[in-house]
Amino acid sequence: MTEKIESIIRNIRIDNETETARALEAAARLTGLNDAEKKELAAGVAALFYHDLHGKTGLIRLANQAEEVIATLGTAVLPFLIDEAIQADSESAAHFGRVIARGKGAAMKPVLEAINNHRGDDYAMMTLIATISYFKDPAALEAVPEILVASKSKNERLRAEALYAIGRLARNLGSDQFDNTLRLKMFDTCFEALKDKHSLARRNAVASLGKIAEKGMLTPDQERKVREKFNGFLGLDGANNWDNAYIVRHQAHQFFKFLKEEGKGQSRYHQTFRILEKRELCPDTYYYSIEAPLIARKLVAGQFIIIRPNEHGERIPLSIAGWDAEKGTINVIIMSAGRTSREINMMNVGDRLADVVGPLGQHSHVKKHDGVCVVIGGGYGTGAVLPTARALKKAGNKVYGIVGARNEKLLIMEDELKQACDEVLVTTNDGTKGIQGFVTHAMEAILKRGEKISHVLAIGPVPMMMAVANMTKPLGIETFVSLNAIMVDGTGMCGACRVSVGGKTKFACFHGPDFNGHEVDFDQLMKRQKMFVAKEKLALEAMGK
Amino acid sequence: MAGLNSKERMAIPFVHMPLNPGEKRIHNFDEVPIGYTAEQAMQEARRCIQCKKPGCIGGCPVGINIPAFLELIEEGKFAEAAKKIRETNFLPAACGRVCPQDKQCQAVCVVGKKGDAVGIGNLERFAADWERTHGTFTAPVIPAPTGKRVAVIGSGPAGLTAAYELRMRGHEVVVFEAFHRGGGVMVYGIPRFRLPLEIIDEDIKMLENMGVQFVYDMIIGNVLSLDDLLVNEKFDALFIGTGAGLPKMLGIPGENSNGVYSANEYLTRIYLMQASHFPRYTTPIEQGKRVGVIGAGNTAMDTLRTAKRLGSEVTCYYRRTRDEAPARTEEVEHAEQEFLNWKWLHNPVEIIADANNNVKAIKCEKMKLSDPDSSGRRKPVGTGEFVTDEIDTIVFSLGCDVNPIIPATDKEIRINKWGIVMVDKDTNMTTKEKVFAGGDVVTGGSTVILAMGQAKTAALNMHKYLMGEIKWDISKISTDPNASGIVWEGKNK
Repeated sequence: MTEKIESIIRNIRIDNETETARALEAAARLTGLNDAEKKELAAGVAALFYHDLHGKTGLIRLANQAEEVIATLGTAVLPFLIDEAIQADSESAAHFGRVIARGKGAAMKPVLEAINNHRGDDYAMMTLIATISYFKDPAALEAVPEILVASKSKNERLRAEALYAIGRLARNLGSDQFDNTLRLKMFDTCFEALKDKHSLARRNAVASLGKIAEKGMLTPDQERKVREKFNGFLGLDGANNWDNAYIVRHQAHQFFKFLKEEGKGQSRYHQTFRILEKRELCPDTYYYSIEAPLIARKLVAGQFIIIRPNEHGERIPLSIAGWDAEKGTINVIIMSAGRTSREINMMNVGDRLADVVGPLGQHSHVKKHDGVCVVIGGGYGTGAVLPTARALKKAGNKVYGIVGARNEKLLIMEDELKQACDEVLVTTNDGTKGIQGFVTHAMEAILKRGEKISHVLAIGPVPMMMAVANMTKPLGIETFVSLNAIMVDGTGMCGACRVSVGGKTKFACFHGPDFNGHEVDFDQLMKRQKMFVAKEKLALEAMGK
Repeated sequence: MAGLNSKERMAIPFVHMPLNPGEKRIHNFDEVPIGYTAEQAMQEARRCIQCKKPGCIGGCPVGINIPAFLELIEEGKFAEAAKKIRETNFLPAACGRVCPQDKQCQAVCVVGKKGDAVGIGNLERFAADWERTHGTFTAPVIPAPTGKRVAVIGSGPAGLTAAYELRMRGHEVVVFEAFHRGGGVMVYGIPRFRLPLEIIDEDIKMLENMGVQFVYDMIIGNVLSLDDLLVNEKFDALFIGTGAGLPKMLGIPGENSNGVYSANEYLTRIYLMQASHFPRYTTPIEQGKRVGVIGAGNTAMDTLRTAKRLGSEVTCYYRRTRDEAPARTEEVEHAEQEFLNWKWLHNPVEIIADANNNVKAIKCEKMKLSDPDSSGRRKPVGTGEFVTDEIDTIVFSLGCDVNPIIPATDKEIRINKWGIVMVDKDTNMTTKEKVFAGGDVVTGGSTVILAMGQAKTAALNMHKYLMGEIKWDISKISTDPNASGIVWEGKNK
């Protein structure tokens, strides 16, 4: 028998993978070995573990095969394996650890004995603690107290190893195996270690908390605490003191997805684009507040954003109805028209938009004027004039607002506009509220009072903007309109949003969206907006399918 | 086989790349070249005579050791060949497909002086594909962290290359991308039948595994300015690789008619936004029965062939002849196999629309080529004869200017009158300290491999700068607004 073993061992050579594979197969077939022979075979096969296997896929496969062979030899070789593991380098020790762990319950006793015998030998303890973490058997629970002790060791390496072991055990055993007392201890240990001054310990504590979260073993309160910590590490809490160790940030980034409030935490630049507020302004028209802190911090009146609601969705440009830089939110108004706007309006508070891109475009024209400024909003455009109205007011102007709608029921954002303007005039086509007629009639009313109008901004349907521009042109009143051309990327890359202004082609996304209303070719704009009408109808029809 | 002498090697005929037949492929978006088999690859590699002074290496913008990897393929060591390429080029699968080898390495190949040059591009593609399908790729080992953080702006060929080179030197790298996915022009501008999506995604995944962080939907300049990145976000250096994304138009009457697209818009709708799967994907494309494409560069070929695949009758309008077409020879050849119409020496002068602003015809002046001028160039000149073709959709494919957002939001970045970001030609430093640039943003619209070459130079210099090996020096950058951007001429010319 010894001869047989010797011939097998002789053929285990890293320079010949085929021979080695064959030898391992032969070893697996051996039966009726006595304990000494088993040990001899284990020692020979384990030689494979000591090679540098990094990047060598063939050898790694063989080493895994070797693990299996040794595992079948049973408890007789355990003392040998434990001894080898303790003396081996950490990579080779991992192989031994995994073999030992395959011994399940029977293997735990000798491991615990070894721990008792090696107290004070930190290097041996590191290996033994790691070995415990490879167990996939509840027997490992017996050893958890040892891991918790090791996690407080003065040796930072041992501490880190123990912290990592906690997570690996959670992952290997699953949530069923841990009672509440044990869970609390594991959590407290790892959470405390997030303050460790050694970055590897912090990193491993992050990884373990992530794995515990992955297995659903955190209480909501614990989860909140972990999320806060991870946010801090990644610099997402606004405190601007993220963890200075990349390995810690990277690990937090990796495991953030297991904390129930997904989204955040992918990096300090990640925005959730979550809908925080939704209310109906009038039938089919909704007001949204969306979480997008980075965009909110930089928005300036006049700029717009592009939204892609879902993975199959279209990118559509939207005017901004306001923002809160502190809360990190932006507000938009969306009226159901085509497929995409309808899809957004089917979303609810808590849902996330796939993409929000911005701020895009140039700032609106804000300065102090001699005469009054008039902002005119028609339909969904009423929200879009708000930021500029506020900015004009802040610049020291007297600002009038005009809101137009077909009837009283369709009037939106009147109150918000009242807060931003000195006075708001309402017009409805049917006379159900305010002046009967169009927004131009309200303009006439202001002019009749003998007030000088220096600046007009009109946002809304193209015919409305055209009517305003046509009215102010002979009067020589500076008039800007915001053009909602069809767009794809919004950064000037595609040119879909070409508009003719003063006889020249301009890109609404980059040069605009605000243009001198007296120079815009409205006729062309209106026709260009109808470019995809047939396709939009098809998209809408396909929506229910 | 090693025993072959040069003469015997040169006698081996060129192994043509097997192609999907034209009549079949115009109905799908499958890749056109099928790829060499192992036997074909080894046969083709045998044609390399292993010159003592290989011109091909100098002809490659990233300096791949071409004879070495060809020799490995000849010996059947495909994984090693791929590894050899990866020493200097980390996007071999993409480059093997989209590089203009006929203007670079293969143009200077000695074998090519008599007959066909060695199919270097085909073989590069073969090695990269073999590595991918056999899973022999091993992620590179990242050296110890340097503690430096760099931001890469744009995730196209330049940005990805810079990210790779910098990460490989132990720096922490964050890539910022304006779109919702990475890859830049390789995703939105290069068709799937030339470059399948999974190739780009694998390369991005590899970078992620190496620890490079990607941030999407992020418009640098608007959301975070360059100063925000340098001061608040504590990046030690920045790389601008935002590319050429501002389509050129002709400025002829009627070009804002409905049904007139820039190639960027047309290809972006189809490839990035997946309009060819409308209405499952909701981005529309409106394309009539007759499509005209203006231009004859690589992008024009891509547009022509895409339009054909969407079922239209497609015509190319170009004011010079086929010989002057700037596209890669292979692209023109492939396009010619796909039942397209060619109107060489046609210069569009007007687009005629109906009352609803929809395109209905294109008016062109017939051109002829002048006698060669002093530089030997033959200019197209008008003949005074005009033709009008009925047409439903027109795509302008005339190249791109540089995307203006970053220069517009940071006045320290000097640009020339064409909007090209001015950099030191040796180090790729811009006029703003700690900021480097590379790719189309410093050359104007160009190719994937040139962008990669630029990015590589920039990244190497960024590394030196970060490690204190070189000082910030921009004294050589021209202040003349008429100065040209970087021009790459090949290293042995």
